[in-house]
Amino acid sequence: MKMFKKFTVTALTAVIAVTASFAGVAAAADTLKGKITVNGSTALLPLTLQAAKEFQKLHPKVKIAASGKGSVTGPQAVKKGIADIGACDWDASIDVPGFKAFDGQVANKVAVIPFATIVNKNVGVDNLTTEQLQGIYSGKITNWKEVGGSDANIVVITRAFGSGTRVNYQAKALAGGDIVKKEKNYKETGSSGDMKTAVATTPNAIGYIDLVYVSGSDIKAVKFNGIEASTDNVINGSYKIWAYGYYMTKGQPTGVTKEFIDYVQSKKFQTGSLKKLKFIPIAAMKS
Amino acid sequence: MGAPVQGLASRAQKGLSEVKVSEKRHSRHLISNTLSRYYFIFSILALCFVLGLVIIFIGKTALLLFAHLSPAEFFFSFNWTPEEDAFGAAAFIVNTLSLTALTLLIAVPISVGMAVLCAEIAPKWMKNFIRPVLDLLVGIPSIVYGYLGLTVLLPFLRRVSGEGLGDGLLAAALVLALMVLPTICRISDDAIVAVPRKYRDAAYALGSTRLQVIMRVILPAASRGIISAIILGMTRAVGETMAVVMVIGNTPQLAKTLFTPSSVLTSNIVMQISNVEFDSTWNYALHMMAFLLLLISFVLILVIRILGRKRRDA
Repeated sequence: MKMFKKFTVTALTAVIAVTASFAGVAAAADTLKGKITVNGSTALLPLTLQAAKEFQKLHPKVKIAASGKGSVTGPQAVKKGIADIGACDWDASIDVPGFKAFDGQVANKVAVIPFATIVNKNVGVDNLTTEQLQGIYSGKITNWKEVGGSDANIVVITRAFGSGTRVNYQAKALAGGDIVKKEKNYKETGSSGDMKTAVATTPNAIGYIDLVYVSGSDIKAVKFNGIEASTDNVINGSYKIWAYGYYMTKGQPTGVTKEFIDYVQSKKFQTGSLKKLKFIPIAAMKS
Repeated sequence: MGAPVQGLASRAQKGLSEVKVSEKRHSRHLISNTLSRYYFIFSILALCFVLGLVIIFIGKTALLLFAHLSPAEFFFSFNWTPEEDAFGAAAFIVNTLSLTALTLLIAVPISVGMAVLCAEIAPKWMKNFIRPVLDLLVGIPSIVYGYLGLTVLLPFLRRVSGEGLGDGLLAAALVLALMVLPTICRISDDAIVAVPRKYRDAAYALGSTRLQVIMRVILPAASRGIISAIILGMTRAVGETMAVVMVIGNTPQLAKTLFTPSSVLTSNIVMQISNVEFDSTWNYALHMMAFLLLLISFVLILVIRILGRKRRDA
């Protein structure tokens, strides 16, 4: 009986000690506290959500709220003080066609996003050059036979002005060329999902989309200047239609925000979850 | 002698207590009546307050536009190229009106016909089948209609018309017509059912055929309800966004044919609002378009109410 009592007391003490020490360790590791709001690009949203989930597991006292509307809302929300981080598909701290630079904001690279030109499965063309794409999107080339396809009118599908995908596609694939607006076989879509559906269901259609969305048998990605759209070709530098994804912050990031961006940029996240989401780690790029 | 007197007294007492009880009940009713009256007044005021806020907020932001742009350019220019500072909304206004008109042209005859069938002609089992089906159709989210339009209707229109794209006013009007059909049909149905039986009996007694009864007696008698059904359908058609966006083509130009990819006020707002800087002319122009939408539905409702009243008076 006496021994039993002794045993119980020891056990209890041990349990309490262990619990206390664990709690102590946890408390010591978790000096990080705060709230981060992320707003902006829908293309980067899956990445942000995944990173937020992992980061909050490491630091339970940090709350991260992430939402996506469109690239330009990111830096805007940062400017207005609504968000700490503005996710954007282009570097919003410098001028890009159609959008002025956001003064005083710092662009933090977080990922590489590849884009692809896609066509409906009935289109026989599987390679397009920069000049041909410029011709198609500016409205000079209107028939597939002019670029080596069958005799059919080209249906151009594009994203609305202000979409990050459009900004990057215009800069990289069209080399800054115009996208025609008032045309009979021309249509604008509101999101990557709509773009995919529209190209998949419209014969003779051409469009462009994040490479990660390219799947299924109704659409196919065409080669750009003879080079296939793939992550490998982006990494080895031969495929040119890609862009960095950025986290815009007001000035240099500080405190929790800095910790979070550091986590997203860390090797562990870049080569782990980020790669799994089919983005390309920033470290893989040479330039 | 003593007993009846006692009985009388007790009865008097009883009456007194009854009076007290009824007084109590009366005051309780008074309180609950007053309370419910205040509650209703409060609800209505809250509703007006919210509506007022919406109007003030949209209107305030919208009117900022005219500090940057002349109203003439906004209302009468057909050139909408925001990246080159051209904000002409005339094409959207015309497209919105023609889309609504086309939708009603398709939907009203069909839905009123269905309502007549449902209320007057169909046997009971058929009514019991049609009405719940129509109620279910109202509950389907508009994005689903849009998706069906994109994946089913557009390929069909392309095949039939030989167009490359198929997007345009016709596709949008067909999708919208399907969406407003149950609304117009169910409310017209209720209006027709509410026509008193004696009207029908009198008309039949005078030797009218069924068609004459329906066309000359029932439809005029139910016209007020049918008109409010059309108003509801029309406001839905004017304000509908998600389904339209998916099938209209979203190109800021005037719809010259039924298959020209074009844009209406709602679809243009939803396509652009998230990609626009807060304090820009572009943003104000989009708010002005929203305000315009509000005004258009307000004016349409007003016009049709006045028409309805005139017909009733005549």
